[in-house]
Amino acid sequence: MREFMDYIQSAFYAATGWNRDNSYSSLNATADALLSFPTPRGLRITLGSLATPQFATAYQLGTVGVVDGSVSYLYSTVSLRNAVAQSARIPLPDLLKSYKPLVELPRGTIGTGDFLEGWDASEKNTLAYGRLYLPQSMLEALVVKRFSPTLQMQISAVSDQTLRNGGTVLGMVQYDRQRYGIEGLASSDGGLMGVRGLYNFGGDAENLKTPYGSSNDVATGNGIGEREGIYGRFSTGAELYYGTLNKSGGMSMGVRFATLPTYRGTPLTATMTINPLMGNISWSYAVMAGKFCSLATRMDFNVYSYESEWAVGTELWRRRKSSWAVDAGKESPAPEQAPPPKLERSFQAKIEWRLDDPLPAPEPPEMQSAPKELPQAEEDNDKYSGVLKARLDQHLKIGLLWEGRVKSLLFSLGSGIDLRRLDTPFRSLGLEVQFSS
Amino acid sequence: MAFNFNWSPLTADEEFYQRAQDLLTTALNKSPKPPIIVDDILVTEFNLGSVPPELEILEIGDLAEDRFRGIFKMCYSGDAFLTLRTRVQANPLNTYLSAKPAFTSPQPLAAAAGLTIPLSITLSEIKLSAFVILVFSKQKGLTLVFRNDPLESIKVSSTFDSIQFVRDYLQRTIEGQLRTLMMEELPAIIHKLSLRLWCPDQLPREDEAPRESADDEVAVDPFAAPPLDAVDASGHVLDANELSSLSLDGGFELHPLFSQKNLLRLAALNDSHRTLSLFTPGIKSAMFRAWAGPMDRLDAGRSTPLAAQGLLRTHSVLGNSTTYTFTDAGSLDNGQLPSRSSLSSLNSTTMGLSVGAGRHPRTSRKKKTRVVNLRRKTDTASEATSDTGETMSETSSMAGPSSEPINATSIPEEPEDEEPIGSSSKVRFAKGPETELSKRLPLSMDIFTDPVDSVEAVVMSVEEKTKVPTGGQAKALEAGAMTPIRNPFNLDRKRPNGSDTSSVILEQAWIARMAGEIARRVYDEKQRNANFWAERNDAPPPAYEATQ
Repeated sequence: MREFMDYIQSAFYAATGWNRDNSYSSLNATADALLSFPTPRGLRITLGSLATPQFATAYQLGTVGVVDGSVSYLYSTVSLRNAVAQSARIPLPDLLKSYKPLVELPRGTIGTGDFLEGWDASEKNTLAYGRLYLPQSMLEALVVKRFSPTLQMQISAVSDQTLRNGGTVLGMVQYDRQRYGIEGLASSDGGLMGVRGLYNFGGDAENLKTPYGSSNDVATGNGIGEREGIYGRFSTGAELYYGTLNKSGGMSMGVRFATLPTYRGTPLTATMTINPLMGNISWSYAVMAGKFCSLATRMDFNVYSYESEWAVGTELWRRRKSSWAVDAGKESPAPEQAPPPKLERSFQAKIEWRLDDPLPAPEPPEMQSAPKELPQAEEDNDKYSGVLKARLDQHLKIGLLWEGRVKSLLFSLGSGIDLRRLDTPFRSLGLEVQFSS
Repeated sequence: MAFNFNWSPLTADEEFYQRAQDLLTTALNKSPKPPIIVDDILVTEFNLGSVPPELEILEIGDLAEDRFRGIFKMCYSGDAFLTLRTRVQANPLNTYLSAKPAFTSPQPLAAAAGLTIPLSITLSEIKLSAFVILVFSKQKGLTLVFRNDPLESIKVSSTFDSIQFVRDYLQRTIEGQLRTLMMEELPAIIHKLSLRLWCPDQLPREDEAPRESADDEVAVDPFAAPPLDAVDASGHVLDANELSSLSLDGGFELHPLFSQKNLLRLAALNDSHRTLSLFTPGIKSAMFRAWAGPMDRLDAGRSTPLAAQGLLRTHSVLGNSTTYTFTDAGSLDNGQLPSRSSLSSLNSTTMGLSVGAGRHPRTSRKKKTRVVNLRRKTDTASEATSDTGETMSETSSMAGPSSEPINATSIPEEPEDEEPIGSSSKVRFAKGPETELSKRLPLSMDIFTDPVDSVEAVVMSVEEKTKVPTGGQAKALEAGAMTPIRNPFNLDRKRPNGSDTSSVILEQAWIARMAGEIARRVYDEKQRNANFWAERNDAPPPAYEATQ
C-alpha cells in the first residue's frame, strides 16, 4: 500500500502537472510494482489527514516486537483541493500500486501557456515534507521546488545518529521536455554524482507538436483499429553514477516498450535493462490480462557469473459484490484516456453497468491530469473493492498481499512464505491499517 | 622445572582440525559481516604447520595440581595457513546502497545490479608476537588472553591478487578482522574447547559458566562478599557473630555501602514516579547485585539489569531502616570519604522514598555467593595484606608508639599486578556488558594509593580522639571515626595478643578483615570515579523497568 504521504505527494505532482513517470528511474515501475511489492511486517496503523488543502499530517504507530512510530507533516504551496484524501473515497487503483498504463504525453508546445493550465511563471510551487521516526530519532526531510514547467528540484535529507557524518543529503534536478527527461543528482554520501536520461520515441511521442483534434489525431488515436501491429511508445535511457570520494561508479542502459491507453488490445509493458559493467541483463514483461488481472514476469541473467534469477507475479482485483474474477476480453480500463476514446469507453461502461451509468460528462480536452480523475475515481471505486497480489521467485519465496477497504479503513495484510523451509514457512506476517480524512 | 609442549600430536589429529574449522567458521560468521560479503565465510583449509611457537615463561603466578596461572611471551613465525571461502559483491554501487537509508537513495534502476564473485583467501606467513596470560583451573577450564595485539604481520593472498586496489583493501580489512578475532574470539574458542576437555559437566549450562567466571571478578563487590568488618548505620563494627546473622535482607542498615549520589538520584526517581515529573535521572554509578548469582540476573530487566538491581537493593534497605539518621556520620566524617559530606541533605530527600518493596526472596542466594567466592577472597586478602602492611607501619610510626605486632612481614608478598588483567579477561566470556569490567585494571592501581588516605584519616582521628589506642587496626579506627559513640569492646576483642600460637589465627582473621576493607575501598573508588561507569549513560532510565 502506498503510504498516505506518498499519495499526497503524488497529488502534488498531479496538481502541478509534473509527470513523474517520465524518468529513467521509473522505467521498470510496472514490473516492480507487481514483482517487488513490499509485504508488511508486524502491525502498523497510520492516521492521515489533509487538514487544509495545503497541509497534511500523518501519524504512524507500528510494532514489530518493539513499538515505534513516526510523525510527518507536509506543506504545499499549491492547493491540493482535488486530491481525495478520505480513506473512504480514495480510488483504490491510485493507492494500491498496480499495473499503471502510460499516460499520454501532453501535446502542444511548451511555454505557450496551454501546456499547463494555470501555470504562472512567477509561481514557484514548493512542497516541504518532514518525518520524524520517534524512538530512533531519525528525521527525514524533503523539499520539492518547481522552477518552471520543465524544471524541478528535489532535495531530500536524512538525519540519523547511526549514519556516518550524522546524515545524508541528496539533491536532484529534473528536467522534463516530454520527449526526453534528464535528471542530475548529487549525494553527500561518498560524493556520489549521477545523471540519467530518458528519451521517448514512437507512438504519441511522434506527434507531440500537433494539438489535439488535428487530422493527425484520427490517424493515430482513433484510427488505431485499422493499423497493424500494436500502438505504443518506446522509451530508452541510461544512467551513470560516479562516487567521487570512493572512486567507484556504475551505469546501466535500458529500453521499454509500453502500449498507450488508446491501444485497444491487451496493454503490455516490456523492458530490458543492461548493466554492461557488471554484465547483468534483465528482462521484464507485464501484461494486463484483463480488467481485473495483471501478470508480470522478470528474468535476470549475468553474463559473467552465469547467475540467473526469475520471478513471476500476479495481481487479482476483486470486483465489488462478486468474487475474484479474471475478466479477460474486456477492453482496456485505463483510467486516463484521451477524450475521443473516452466516449467509446463510457459507452461500453454503459453496457456493462446497464442503466445506472452516471452521465458521462464530456470533458474539455484541455483538462489534463488531476481534475479529470475525479469521476474516473468514483467509477473505479465502484468497480474495485480489493486486490490480491502474489509473487514467486526462484528461491521459492512467496509474497502474498491482500489489500482493500473495509468501511473507511484501508488495510493491507501480507505475508512472506519460504517454501524451502516448510517447518517455519511464514517468514513475515503483517497488517497495516490506514485511515485518513 | 621444565615444561614439555608437544606440538605435533596436536597438529596430526585430524579430528582436531575438523573441530577447529567448525569453531572458526561459526566465529567468523557470528559478527555482522560487511555488506560486501554476501555469503557465509567457510573455513576450507586449516593447518597449524610444523613449526611450533616459541614460548618464554615470564612469570608463574600460581601453580598447583589443578590450577596454573602464568605469563608467557609468545613468538610465532611458522608455516600455518588458513584458507577461507566466501562470496563477495563486486558492484560497489550495490554495497554503497545497502547501508544507506532508502529515503535519500538515488534509486538507480539497474546500475546497482549485483555481481557476486566467489572469493578464496589464504592467510599464511603469520607472524605473531604477544604476551599471553594463561589461567588454567580444573573447574573453570583454560583461559588464554593476549595482553597486547598479537598480530605482527600476515600475508593475504586471494583470487584478486592481480588487482592492486582490491588486494590492499583485503589486506587491510582482514588484518583488522583478525585482530578482533585474536583478541576476542580466540579466547572464547579456547575456553570452550577446554571446557569440553576437562569439565564437560559445565557445557550444558554454557550460559552460566561465563557468569560464574564473571562472578569471580566482582568478588570485591561488597554485596557479593560483604566486608567482614562491616559497620552498621551508626558506625559500630559488627563482629563475626553479628555478621553471620547479617543478611542483606535483614534489619541491619548498610547505608554506608551505598553511593550518596545514587540515593539522591533514586529519591528523585521515586519522586518522578509519584508525581507527573518527566525527569528521570540516569543512575550512573549504580552498584548492582547482578553479578552475585545467575538467579539475580534473571529477574532483572534484560536491558538494564544493573541499574534495576541497584534500584531494588536501595529500596529494600531504605524500606527497612526507618529509624536511620545520617546527621551524625556526616558531621564527623573528617573528609575521609568525600562522597558522604552531603549526607544531611540526603536525609530530607530519602524520607520521601516509599517504604514498601522489601526484598525477601533473595535470602537463599547469599550463601551460594559466598561459596563461590571463597578462593578469590584469599587472593584479595593477600593483596590487602601486602599493601596495608606498609600502611600499618607508617601508621604506627606516625601515630606514636605502638605495642602491636606488625604482622605484615609474616605474609609473603605476592605480585598481584597481573591478577586483575588475567581475571578481567575472563569476563570476556560473559555475554553482558563485559567491557566495563575489563576496565578495572586501572582501578587496581588506585587500591595502592588509597591506603594513604586512610593513614591520614587515622592520624586525624587519632589526634581528635586521643583515648583511642593506636592499634594496628586501621579499620576499627576508621569505623570509629564515623561514630560519636564508640563501642569499647570491638577494638579489644580483635586486638592481637602477641602470642605465637594464636598469631596464625589472628593473622587469618586480620587478613580477612583487610580484604573486606580493600573491597570497600574499591567500591568507594568506583563510586567516585565518574568515568568508570560512564558507558552506562546510554542505558534507558530504570524507572520503567519492571523490577519484580
